[in-house]
Amino acid sequence: MNGGGTSRHIGRILIRAIVTLLMVAILNFILFRVIPGDPAKLLLGGGRVSATAEQIEAQRQNWGLDRPLLPDQLVDYLSATVRGDLGYSFKFRGRHVADLILERLPATIVLVAVAQLIAIVVGVMLGMYAGWRRGGALDNGGTVASLLLFSTPSFWVGMILVVVFSTKFGWLPGYGAYSPGGTISSIDSILDHLRHLALPVTALALGLIGQYVLVARAAMSDVVTEDYMVTARAKGLTNRQMLMRHAFRNAMLPVVTLIALNLGYAVAGAITVEAVFAWPGIGGLTVEALNARDYPVLQGVFLLLGASIVVSNMTADLAYGLLDPRVR
Amino acid sequence: MSESTTRYSPLGPARAVKGFLQQLLSHGGAKVGLVCLVFFLGVAVMPNVLVGPLQTAVNATGDFLAPPSSQHLLGTDEVGRDVLNLVVHGARISLTIALLATLISLFVGTSIGMIAGYYGGSVDVWLMRLADFFFVMPSFVLALVITPVVLEVMGRGGDILGFRPSLFVILVVIGMTSWAFVARIVRSQTLSLKERTFIDRARVVGSSNFSIMVRHILPNLVPQIAANGALVVASAIYVETSLSFLGLGDPLQPSWGTLLSLAQRAGAASAGAWWYLGAPGVCVLSVSLSFVLIGNALDDTFNPRRRVIP
Amino acid sequence: MINTSKRSAALLEVDGLSVTYGLMGASSRAIENVSFALGAGEAVGLVGESGSGKTTTAMAIAGLLSPNARVSSGEVRYRGNVLPIDDDAAMRPHRWSETSVVFQGAMNALNPVHRIITQIAEPCMLKLGMPRGEASARARELLELVGIPADRGTAYPHELSGGMRQRVMIAMALACRPSIVIGDEPTTALDVITQAQILKLLGKLRSQLRLALILITHDLSVVAEACDRVLIMYSGRIVEEGTVAEIFAQPKHPYTRLLIDSIPNPANGKKMIRPIPGDPPNLMNRPSSGCAFHPRCPSVMAVCPTEVPSIDQFGQERVACHLYRSSQEDRGASHA
Repeated sequence: MNGGGTSRHIGRILIRAIVTLLMVAILNFILFRVIPGDPAKLLLGGGRVSATAEQIEAQRQNWGLDRPLLPDQLVDYLSATVRGDLGYSFKFRGRHVADLILERLPATIVLVAVAQLIAIVVGVMLGMYAGWRRGGALDNGGTVASLLLFSTPSFWVGMILVVVFSTKFGWLPGYGAYSPGGTISSIDSILDHLRHLALPVTALALGLIGQYVLVARAAMSDVVTEDYMVTARAKGLTNRQMLMRHAFRNAMLPVVTLIALNLGYAVAGAITVEAVFAWPGIGGLTVEALNARDYPVLQGVFLLLGASIVVSNMTADLAYGLLDPRVR
Repeated sequence: MSESTTRYSPLGPARAVKGFLQQLLSHGGAKVGLVCLVFFLGVAVMPNVLVGPLQTAVNATGDFLAPPSSQHLLGTDEVGRDVLNLVVHGARISLTIALLATLISLFVGTSIGMIAGYYGGSVDVWLMRLADFFFVMPSFVLALVITPVVLEVMGRGGDILGFRPSLFVILVVIGMTSWAFVARIVRSQTLSLKERTFIDRARVVGSSNFSIMVRHILPNLVPQIAANGALVVASAIYVETSLSFLGLGDPLQPSWGTLLSLAQRAGAASAGAWWYLGAPGVCVLSVSLSFVLIGNALDDTFNPRRRVIP
Repeated sequence: MINTSKRSAALLEVDGLSVTYGLMGASSRAIENVSFALGAGEAVGLVGESGSGKTTTAMAIAGLLSPNARVSSGEVRYRGNVLPIDDDAAMRPHRWSETSVVFQGAMNALNPVHRIITQIAEPCMLKLGMPRGEASARARELLELVGIPADRGTAYPHELSGGMRQRVMIAMALACRPSIVIGDEPTTALDVITQAQILKLLGKLRSQLRLALILITHDLSVVAEACDRVLIMYSGRIVEEGTVAEIFAQPKHPYTRLLIDSIPNPANGKKMIRPIPGDPPNLMNRPSSGCAFHPRCPSVMAVCPTEVPSIDQFGQERVACHLYRSSQEDRGASHA
C-alpha cells in the first residue's frame, strides 16, 4: 500500500528484467565470437560472399573488430543491439535481421494469440470446474486427459492433425497461411486464412489447455480447503455465490501468473508447430536460419524470445501485485 | 516442507526403501509409469537382439512408405527402412540423451544450490543471479541458439563411446541449461538443513565443509532431487525431441525426434503415412508421461503438501 | 420433521446427538450422545482437548458439518424447531441469520483479496437483501461497534493486527443480528492482553445485544472470564457440566480436576503448565470399551475399562464418572 514499497517492488522487477536481457545479449556476443572464422567475413555474409580485402577491412573498422574484445567490442555490440541493429542475415543477403524478424512477427502473433485465447478460456474454465468438484467424473477424466496433452509435443499433435484432417478427409489445409495464388476478394482471403489457421491453432491450443487445466484445478482445489471458504459457507452463501465471490478470484491468482508467463514462452513454443505447417512466422524463419546456419538471424530470434520472456515475467510479477493486495 | 526431508533414516535403509516403494506404488499413475518405463528401458538396452542392427538406406528391406504389414509391423519409411527397427534403436538414443542430460542437470543444480545455500553471502547472491537467468530462459530456447554454434565449433565427425558427437553436444547443452529449478530447491533445503544441530555437531568434531555437504547435507536432499529428477527427464525428452525435430539431431543415429524430423521432411503427413510419424510420437508421449507420473508420485510420497503437477 | 413442542424455554436444545465421520471406508464417531441446552443470552463454554468433539458439536449446531459427516442419532432444536443439520441446502437460511460463527485465527478466515467492509457488508446484502449503500452503512456501524474506526473499512485483512482481524470477524458475525454466536477458539492466536480485550468485547456485545454465546476453547481460563456455564468434553462425550463457579470451586470429574490443575497460576507459585499425562485420544485410537479417560485417569477403578459411565444429575451439575454413581458414592467421596 505505501508508495515507497510499491516503487521499490517495481524497481526490483525492472532491474531483474534488464539484467536478464543483458545476459541474453552477452551470450549472443560470446557465441558469435566463438564461431570459427573471421567475424568480419561472417558479418559480410557468412564467408559465402566473395568480399574484397578492402571490404573486409572496412567492415572490421566499422564494427570495431580491430579493437580489444573487452570492453570495446562488447560495448559496441550492446549499443548496436539497443539501437535495433542486429546485423545482416547470411541467407537473405544484405537484409537486416531486425527487418526479417519484424516481417515475420505478425503471422506468429496471430497464431499464438488465437491459440492462447482459446486455451485460456477453455482450459481455465474446465480446470476451475474440476477443482471445485474435486473427485468428480469430469475431474478424474479431465486430469488424465490434461496430463496426456501436457506430455505430448504439440508439433506431433499438429502432424497427426494434418494426417487426419488434411490428408485423409481433405477438410482443412495443412500447409502455409494462405492458399497459393491468392484470391481477390478480401472476405474470401480472410476465410482462407482462418481455414489455414485452424489446424496449427488446434495443435498449439491442445497442449496449452492441458497445462491450464492442471494449474487452474490445483489452484481451485487449494482454495476450496481455505478457511475463508468455511466462513463463506457459514455466512449462508449458496454454492454459486461461494464460487463467484470467494473462490474464483483467489484461484485466479496463480492462474493469471501462469498465463502471463506462458505468453512469453508462446512464441518459442510455436516454433516447432510453425515448422510442421510451414507457417510464415518466426518459427519458419528459425527453421530456415537453422538449416542455413544463419547465425545473425538465429541470434536475433534468440533476442526476441528473450525479450518476450522477460517482458512476460515482468507482467506476471506486476499482475500478481495488482490482483493480490498482500504483495502490493 | 523442510521437515519432510528429515525422514531419511540411515538406520534402516532397507526398511525405509520398502516402505517408500509401497507408498509410491499406491499411486495408480506411478504403477503405470513404472511398467511403461521398464518396458522402454528393456527395449533400449538390447535393440540389436530385438530387431537386429540399425537399418540404413543401404540395407533397407522394404518398399518406400509401405503401411504396416506382417513383415513390417510398423511399416516403412521413405527409403524402405523398417519403422519398428528405427523406433527401437531410437529408444536407446532418446533415453540415453535424456538420462545423461538429467544427470548433468542434477549434478550442476545440486552443486550450485548446495554451495549457494551453504556458504551464503555474496557466493549465494551471484550463484542465484546466475540461476535466475537459467530459470527464466527455458532450456529449449537456450539450446536452440547454443547447440548449432557448439556443433560448428566441434565438428560432427568421429564418435564418443559409440555415440555421435552431435548427440553429446545436445545432451550437454540440455543438461547445462536445465539445472536452475533443481538449484533453487536444493538451495532452500540446504538453508534450512544447515541450521540443524547435527550439522553443528559435525562442524564441532572438525569435519571439512566439503565433507559436511557431501556426508550430511546431500543425503537429506535425496528425496527432493529424485522427485525433481523425474520431471527433469520429462522435460529433457521434450527439449531433445523438439531440437531434433528442428534438424539439430543426427540422422546417422536417429532419436525419436530425429525420426519425426525425417518424417516431416519426407512429407509423411501429407502422404498419409501415419505409422511413420505415429510410432516415434507415441513413444515420446509414453515415456514423458511416465516420468511425469513417477515424478508426481515421488513428490507426493516425499512431500505430501507440495505438488509440482497436481 | 418440524417439532413445534414448546415445552422448554431454551433457545437451543441439543438432544442425544451423535455424529460419525466416514474416513477411508471406515466410519468413526466424532461425538456420541451429546445433550445440552442453551438459553437466550446465555454464555456456555465448550472445553476439551483437540479431538474431544467440541468443534464437531459446534459445527453441527451451526449447520456446518462436512459432507463426510453423518448424524447417526439425536437432533438439534432451535426455538423448538428441529434443525435439518445434515442437509446443506436446507440449513442455508438458518446460517448467519440465526447462528453465526467467529472463527479462530481470523487471518485465514477472512478472504485476503476483499476489503473488510465488503466482507462485513456481504451477508447484509445477500441474506437481508439490503442495497449496497445500506449494507456498507451497516458495516461501518458494526465496525464502530467492535471498536474499529469506520474508515479502516477499506483495509485488507493483512493490513490489520491479529486483534483487529478478530474484531472484524466479530463485526461480521453480528451482521444479520443472530441470536447465537459461536466462538471457535476466538482468542487462541492472540497475545494475553488482546485476548482479554476480545473477551471483554464479546461480554459487552452479549449483554448489549442479548446474544447467546457458545465458546469453544481448550483454555479453561477463557471460559472463567466469559461464560456462565461450562461443558467439559472428552473423546466425543460430555463428561461434566456445571456453572463456572461450581466447576472451578469443586470439579468432580478427574479429567476436569486435572484440567483445572494444569492452568498456570502465578498466585500459588505454579508457573509452569502441568500437562495431563498420557496422549489425548483421537478419532482412530479411542479405548474400545468403558470410560474413554480410564487409561489416563488417576482414580481409575475396576469398572472403568469395561463400562461406559452414564451422565448423572447432581443438583445443578451433571457428571459422567463411575466415582459418582449412587452405589459407589462412599468410595467416590474418599477420592474427591
